[in-house]
Formats: sequence, structure tokens, C-alpha cells
Amino acid sequence: MRKGVQSFSWKGIAVFSALVISFPFLFSSSFYLTKATFAGIYTIVAVGLGLLMGFAGQISLGQAAFYGIGAYSTAILSTTFGLNPWLTLVISLAAPALLAYLLGHTMARLHGYYLAMATLAFGIVIHVLLTEWKSVTKGASGFFGIPKIELFGFTFRQGISYYYLVWAFALIVIILSLNIIHSRIGRALRSIHDSEVASGAMGVDTGKYKMQVFIISSMFAGLAGWLFAHMSYSISPGSFGLNGSILFLTMVVLGGGTSIWGAVCGALLISAISIIVHTAGSHVSFITSDFEQVLYGFIMMLIVIFLPQGLVPAIASKLKKQKQKSARANKVPAIGTVKGDQNV
Amino acid sequence: MSSLLQVKNVTKRFGGVVANRNVSFTIEGKNITGLIGPNGAGKSTLFNMVSAVFPPSEGEIWFENKRIDALPSYKIAPMGISRTFQNLQVFKKMTVIENVMVGLHTRTASSLAAAAFRLPRSRKDEEFIYENAMEVIKFIGLEDLIEVDAGNLPLGKLRLLELARALATKPKLLLLDEIAAGLNHQETLEMSELILKIRDRGISIFVVEHDMDLVMRICDKIIVLDQGEKIAEGTPKAVQNNQRVIEAYLGAADEKELTV
Repeated sequence: MRKGVQSFSWKGIAVFSALVISFPFLFSSSFYLTKATFAGIYTIVAVGLGLLMGFAGQISLGQAAFYGIGAYSTAILSTTFGLNPWLTLVISLAAPALLAYLLGHTMARLHGYYLAMATLAFGIVIHVLLTEWKSVTKGASGFFGIPKIELFGFTFRQGISYYYLVWAFALIVIILSLNIIHSRIGRALRSIHDSEVASGAMGVDTGKYKMQVFIISSMFAGLAGWLFAHMSYSISPGSFGLNGSILFLTMVVLGGGTSIWGAVCGALLISAISIIVHTAGSHVSFITSDFEQVLYGFIMMLIVIFLPQGLVPAIASKLKKQKQKSARANKVPAIGTVKGDQNV
Repeated sequence: MSSLLQVKNVTKRFGGVVANRNVSFTIEGKNITGLIGPNGAGKSTLFNMVSAVFPPSEGEIWFENKRIDALPSYKIAPMGISRTFQNLQVFKKMTVIENVMVGLHTRTASSLAAAAFRLPRSRKDEEFIYENAMEVIKFIGLEDLIEVDAGNLPLGKLRLLELARALATKPKLLLLDEIAAGLNHQETLEMSELILKIRDRGISIFVVEHDMDLVMRICDKIIVLDQGEKIAEGTPKAVQNNQRVIEAYLGAADEKELTV
């Protein structure tokens, strides 16, 4: 452990893994398992988007489109052409990456907020394409008959095995992302936030790293799409529209993009809220699925007004302040009182 | 032998305003060169061109026989030019050690993929970065503060942190932009000792400074700007006695000596 440096710790991963592994033993109904599996898929997208928003300082309003490209690539290739899903995983990762590269490349090194606009338009175009290109995507009614993922003769079906498959990937994504932010590149990205001019003077090629993170975030979304497609028997364009992109955005804003765990918490909280709304909806007649959208909008508003950094970074900085306060009370020479001209 | 840095006939215009007109000078190796002049003389503009914040309108800037005036600023650091900022551009939400570690960015090259999978290359880089950052921090004297967020430091320490971060890039030429601004007398003295120590390590230094005491004490050569043009160049002694410099500072010709 290096003093004063944010670094990777297995402790957080171990605790979180224990929670993930034990969940099915506590909540074994298929409703909860399905929701928890979706939470894992959303976590993968949210972590990627969190990297982009919290570390590269860029907003994507088209993350659901990358998610959709990942899902439809594998659906079409594995169903229509009969390829093995493990083979099509490569396409589900490569296709979003290539599109992100092209999109980012035309965006003049991702300066300002042009990426938000470009991805918004991109998301709409992809949604229209999925709906209207009926000969390939089968249109709005959806794509049916997607095969299951198999590994050494074992078939992952919706339920407990798929839950573990999804969360295994989610944990890998979390670990990879933590590794990235605790490296020279992670620090370079964090430095861009505080002073882009100083980053440049230190030799950080800001455009290059913004681009790389955008590509990574699109690949994570593609991976999530791959998992989603093989979980259900069918997929339809409805899951990959603007609403989906806003949902992912809400997760990151809620949890806080400047921390990987923030994005994870955001995805989990939104999934929990969705469960609560569904449960409440079966008892109270006016709570419908539209109610969820209103609620998400409301949450986003509250967070932006009261906790603009998001939940996890806000809590973390509060804890840190308390720790420093108690350290100051215990130690005699404290930081901040070393100014020479104060004791005149 | 050619000079470390050559500024050749540089002119900079902002719209109709001429900030620098036909300025030429050189900076030699292992030297401290000072840039002084009254307010609005165009010091900062010249300084920003040397550190590639923006390009000159006319003229050329050469560093170690490579032309640098058209390069983006992030390409300057790996060539061996580093700088501090007068208006303090530390990374506030990062700790002192992390700030200095960013300075080591260009001295390592492991990729995003190497970082994600923690390949041996990336681990080795992390070790290298930490050790070298610690070394610079000890040299500057900030080792007691490494865990503190830069945003919580007092001004004197912030100036030292900027210096440490710039040094971490292992520059051949270090540009100091009013490094003593806001420091008290004692801190300024310590800073000048530190700058001399850095020069003794074989690093050339280019300072823009308002504190005449500091400039006269440490510089081997001084360049004086007035209204965008170079009006004098020479040793501190020669510059102090230069009639045009005295006029520029005092606005009158009847003073016998420049008060410093």
C-alpha cells in the first residue's frame, strides 16, 4: 500500500463478492433473481458510463444504443447464422468499440459537450435502425429464438446460473475499471478534471485518453447487451431507446461518477427502486410502469440540486473530513496551520 | 555549440494588440535566465509561447535544435520543458503525492490495457512513478504532507508543490511563472535557495518574476521587456545600470540608479 495514493484494495471486492454470492440464498424467488440479474447487466453499463462521465468528463446520451448493438449483433449472428455465442461475444465488443471510435474521431478530440449531442443523435439513429430494418432485426415486434450460452456442456438458463454468469462478468468489469483508475492513466484522467492546462503541461494527451475511455465504456455496454440477449428468448428495440440511455445516466448521477463504486451503487439503487415500484404497483392501482420514469426524473433532479457529486463521493468526502477532524484533535501540529505569517 | 532554447524574432498579436514584437533571445544550459519588465510588458505572453500554450503569430522557437512553436502543449513535456503556473494549477482533489505522480506521466508508457489487466509492465511503472515522486518530494521538502489533498494546502506549500510536479517530469528547462508571488520574505529566501539547488543539478531555469530581489540574486542573465519589445539583456549588474531599463521602470531619465 502506497501512502497517500488511491490504490486497489481487495477488501472492497471481497465484501461485495460475498454479498453477490449470498444474494440468491436470501432471495430465491425468480422475480428477485431476474431483477438481480438485470441489476448486474445494468452495473456493467453504469460502470463504463461512470468512467466516461466521472473520469473523462464526457456525457453519453446514447449508451443504450451501444447496449443494443451488443445485443443485436449476437442475436443476429447466433440465431440467423448459427454462430457460437462465445464467438459472437467478440463482435458484441468490437462493433460498439468501432462505432465509438468513429463517433469520437469526428468529434475533434472530444472537446466540450459535443459528445453528448452526438451520442444523443446516434442513439436515436440506432433505435430507428433496429425498429425499421425489419429484414435483419425483425422490427418492433422483436427478435425471437436467441440461443442460450453454453460452457463445457452446461447451459446457462435464466435463473440462478445466469445470475452468477452475469455477476461474474460484472465483477470482472469492476476490477478492470478499478485497475484503470488506480494507474498512471487514471491519475491523468483525474488531473484533467482539476486543470486541463496543467495536465497538458505535464504531457498528458487529454484527447487520447478521453477517446480510449469512450471506447471502453461502449465495449462494456456491448458486453451487457450480449448478456441481455442470451438471457431472454427475445429482444426488442424498446429496451435500447432514449429511455434506456437516460436510465443509465440516472444511475451514474445518483451513485456518483467519480467513483467506480458510485456507479455500482447507482445501478443497484435504481434496480431496488424498480422492485419497490413493481411491488407497490400490484397493491396500489395508480402506480404503473410510467410511474417509474417520473420517479427517476424526480431522483435525478434532487441529486443534481442537493448532491451534485452523487451519493458515494458525497459520503466518502464526509467520512474523510470527519477523519481529518479527529486526526487534528489528536495530533498537535495540524495541516493548514503551517502558514508562517499567521502568528504575527 | 547551439543554445538550449532559441527564440527567434517572435511576434504575438491578439487582434490589433501587439503583445510581443520581434523578440529574440537564447537560453543556455545550466543557467538561470530571468525575464522582467513593467506590468503589461508582455512577459506572460512570451512565457506562454515558450511553454506552447499558444503559438506565436510570427517567428520561431527552437528547443535542442527542434522547432517547438507549432506543437500542442502536451508534446513539450516529454521533450524536456516543464513549467509552474502563477495562478496555481494544482490538481486540488488529488493528494500531494498524486499531483507529483502526474508529473511522471510522460516518463512511463504502459497502456490502458496494461493498466486494466495489471500486467507486469504497469506494476513496474507504478513502482517507478511512486519512488521517483517520493524522491522529488523529499528534495523539495514536502514529505510530511504527501497524504494531504492539494486543495487544503496553504499558498507557500502550493508553490512548492507546483515546483515538485514540474521537476518530476525531469526537465532540461524549467519555466517558473512568478514562483515567489504571495510568498513572505522567509519563504522567498527559501525558494531562491531551492532554485539554485535545482540549477546545480544541471537544469536550466527561466523565471518570470516581479520580486527584483529574487531575480537579481539568482539570475545569471536577465532579459528586460518593455511594451512588448526586448530593451536590454545581460548580467544583473549590467541590467541594473542600463539607462533604458531605468527609464522603463521609473518613467523618467533623471534617476541615477535603479532601486531594487
